[in-house]
Amino acid sequence: MSKALKFAAQLILLCAVSWLGNQAALLSGLPVPGNVFGMVLLFGLLCLGVVKLEYVQEAADFLLKHMLFFFIPLAVGLMNWGRLFYEEGLVLAAAVVISSVVPLWLVGFLAQYSARRDKGCNS
Amino acid sequence: MQQLITVFFIAFTVASYVFFRRLHMKYRSPLLNVVFLGAAAVIAVLLFCGVPYEDYKPGAAIMTYLLGPATVALAVPLYKNRHLIRQYRWAIMTGVGLATAASMATAMVIARLGGLTKVVVVSLAPKGATIPFAAPVAEMMGGDPALTAAFCVATATFGALCGLSALTRLGIRDPVARGLAMGTMFHGQGTAMALTEGEQQGAMAGMAMGLAGVFTALIAPLLIPLFV
Repeated sequence: MSKALKFAAQLILLCAVSWLGNQAALLSGLPVPGNVFGMVLLFGLLCLGVVKLEYVQEAADFLLKHMLFFFIPLAVGLMNWGRLFYEEGLVLAAAVVISSVVPLWLVGFLAQYSARRDKGCNS
Repeated sequence: MQQLITVFFIAFTVASYVFFRRLHMKYRSPLLNVVFLGAAAVIAVLLFCGVPYEDYKPGAAIMTYLLGPATVALAVPLYKNRHLIRQYRWAIMTGVGLATAASMATAMVIARLGGLTKVVVVSLAPKGATIPFAAPVAEMMGGDPALTAAFCVATATFGALCGLSALTRLGIRDPVARGLAMGTMFHGQGTAMALTEGEQQGAMAGMAMGLAGVFTALIAPLLIPLFV
């Protein structure tokens, strides 16, 4: 199979899983985005061996490498919010910084504590 | 005319992505944020041409079509590092789970104390998750996905600049814990910074980024209504 065809097939498989994830989200009625279902579904299929890594590898690597591209059109929506940043910039900056540093310490501290325990369990 | 606008701005968005990506690869500074600069360039041209956001939207919908499959693809690095998940399951569950909840709660408390409107408070809440999870979560809970994307970028840029030194100052020296913290809080950019410290830190961070997204999506519907 030529490289381009293989890539296209992988892409279609990823699209199919994504579509299934969206359907699962709709059917479940839970307020959880479809792509969460899709990612968990692909992880499950990989673990079960139904989907092999080589079925998705190249397309997955390509999409992940250029994922930032998709965020640009999303962020352009900011043009409707210019005033907010001008008027409330300080509060927003405080919220972003404090709510990053506090959990950063929390996850680091808890992980450091239990990583030692996990290491102990396995050795 | 609309088709022409759509085609032109798709081409321009791709071009600015390529340009700022090259610039970032060349200088490697976290301040040269591809999303921020790319969006700023597009906004500048839209304003200059007098094109409202509503006319950019059809093109944006076409461009973000593959974001779903791209997010699904995050399962691949997760799968590759599944032995790490098994080995550090307690560290991961307690650390990522509690940090995700704490990040949402503190952001919303500060935003409310600062008197911000409900839309902004909700949009701030999931900013600790990577954008493909954070934006739809915000939208479902009554926030604005574009605002959330901006908060995510701001968070990640802050993290890329200060995250590692903050961890050192807070006394977090275990490599597993450092990687986990960087990925949980600062998504892709945090993962890139964690990778500079080592393979293991990078793998932990990449995995934590995916898990933090899932945790955020699961916790948000329960947590956000308590604060708004």
